[in-house]
Amino acid sequence: MNMEKVVFGFFIVLAMTLNFGFFLGDIGNASHHHVYELYAAIIVSLIATVLKFGDRTQVGAILLSTSLAADLQLITAAILWAALQGSMETSHLTVYIVSLSGGALMANFISVVLLISETISQRR
Amino acid sequence: MDSILFMILRRLRRPLILIIASFAIATIGLTLVPGVDDHGQTWYMSIFEAFYVISYTATTIGFGEVPYPYSQAQRLWMTFSIYFTVIPWFYAVGKIITLLQDATLRHAIAAERFARKVGSLQEPFFILCSYGQSANLLAHTLDEKNMRVVVIERDQERLNDLELADTNNAILSLCADAQIPENLIRAGIYNPHCSGLVTLTDDDDVNLAIAVSVKLMKPNLRVLARAERKDIAANMASFGTDHIINPYTLFGDQLAMRVHALGTYILHQWLTGAPGETLPPPKNPPRGNWLVCGYGRFGKSVIENLEREHLTTTIIEAMPDLTECSKCVVGSGTEAGTLIEAGVKDACGIVAGTDNDINNLSIVMTAKELNPNLFLIVRKNKRNNGALFRKFGADITMQPTDIIAHECLAYMLTPLLAEFLTLARDQDNQWANSLISKLVNVVGEIVPETFAVTINAKNAPAVNEYIQSGMLVNLGNLVQDPFNRERDLKLVPLLLMRDEVSFLVPDKETVIIEGDRILFCGTYNAKAALPASINNNKTFNYIMSGKEAPDSIVWRWIKRATS
Repeated sequence: MNMEKVVFGFFIVLAMTLNFGFFLGDIGNASHHHVYELYAAIIVSLIATVLKFGDRTQVGAILLSTSLAADLQLITAAILWAALQGSMETSHLTVYIVSLSGGALMANFISVVLLISETISQRR
Repeated sequence: MDSILFMILRRLRRPLILIIASFAIATIGLTLVPGVDDHGQTWYMSIFEAFYVISYTATTIGFGEVPYPYSQAQRLWMTFSIYFTVIPWFYAVGKIITLLQDATLRHAIAAERFARKVGSLQEPFFILCSYGQSANLLAHTLDEKNMRVVVIERDQERLNDLELADTNNAILSLCADAQIPENLIRAGIYNPHCSGLVTLTDDDDVNLAIAVSVKLMKPNLRVLARAERKDIAANMASFGTDHIINPYTLFGDQLAMRVHALGTYILHQWLTGAPGETLPPPKNPPRGNWLVCGYGRFGKSVIENLEREHLTTTIIEAMPDLTECSKCVVGSGTEAGTLIEAGVKDACGIVAGTDNDINNLSIVMTAKELNPNLFLIVRKNKRNNGALFRKFGADITMQPTDIIAHECLAYMLTPLLAEFLTLARDQDNQWANSLISKLVNVVGEIVPETFAVTINAKNAPAVNEYIQSGMLVNLGNLVQDPFNRERDLKLVPLLLMRDEVSFLVPDKETVIIEGDRILFCGTYNAKAALPASINNNKTFNYIMSGKEAPDSIVWRWIKRATS
């Protein structure tokens, strides 16, 4: 067992689970989606991205790009939230934000699938 | 460039994670701490506001307490946040600065930049795998001749000289070990414009390693290498190194050439000099008994060549055991006693050929006092001692680095020139002298341009078309001035190669055929004017027939109608 691998896997999986938690619920209902959950998802996703830096393998490159895609969508959602809050109807805004986080969820999902498939393919 | 970006990112992993974590904790804390707004109500910061406050705090900008004055609890958290976020921030900034000054990183960036510049070269260039004395001279002469040069050198100090030097074109340089194949690739051996590689380091093994790796990677690239040891030279030759330069044998050869055929020697120097240079009239060494000081590799080569010219020699050597010298006067030659013992009074010349410049000067000065009629040949080892040697003014000052540079030039400018010089060495002095007077008549006394022309559809389309249509073209036609056919360009054809047959100094009546390669020597203007006639059908037609063909359809029509 390797502590580095544990931390690496932990952050990648946590990024997906937090993202999923935020995404879960009625898409137009603001009370189903908590702002702190989005915040946590962004922070964990950023840390996961930095952890993926510098891996030169093909899988490493794809892992990094999925993370970058997830960051992009989550940060866009956060910016929308900060910028448009109060200036438009809450239910509409919630739809935008949650759908963006849904996109990020796909990217995080691919990331986890890659991680698992790579682990399984290692015959040790 | 990609690898550098990832190298930076990998090194910054820890500071980046620290920043993210500390900002995250400070921000979340600030949203949880209650504050008081302007109506006395309890309020909480939104995540965005908290992130804004932490961002300007952590980066030490500090806008103050917005939007309302903070409560005690908020101030308490802010105090904690300042220490908690500012320290990781500075840690990260420091790390980035250290990284930018990191020698490995800077070297990696320099190498990438060098490779990119070399990759974008769109004209023929040569690679020099060192920047010592001869390579320095070579680089500047090539630059004078408007050829691009790329230098790889291990010693940064030598490259600093290069950066300060005043050149026509930028000489691209990289501080790296040319023995590593990756660096050779960076220097552009795979670039289609690369016309050759020269390795002149003073270490035979390094030269061998470079020559062999280039020949393995790109067998048809021309390679010139310096080798002093016979076994190394043989090894290089077995790998197909195109020309192997031994400075000591070269010097001996040239000395012999001077004794034996001064004209050939002048021709050699003249054709391989930097354009615009004038050469001092050389002196002809006398025949008689010669003293040779120093029986090293240099001295051995000198004696071998002098004896081949049937001159008698007396050797003066300080360490006869070390140099396997059987019959010699023991001593360094700097003191009068040794010189008198060796017979300086009756000798006709002296060669001071040790590897120490000051000793060499001292030898010739002492010898000159003893016998003012001596012919003095002195070996100069270091270029920066030039002032001393000029002041002394020996009859011949031989400098290995100059000789190497001249020899390389002959091979690099055009392979035909090297061919010509080899053939010229077999001719007698009379021949060389008459050629020199012919050249001086046509091009003047400054060093001329030497270049080759191949008669084929690509390099001389107009001439080729003419020949293909069945008409005869003389060598003299090529030399006619494209602006006035009554006059000739200031060009002299030196050599004509037809398949493997060579014609030395062909006359103007020679009929040329497709595939001929011709070596010309002439002024810069003539070199620039020649393409106008051999590439342009109309101009060449004028040269051949004396008639100006009309350009446009209308004029052609009028001409046809009137005739």
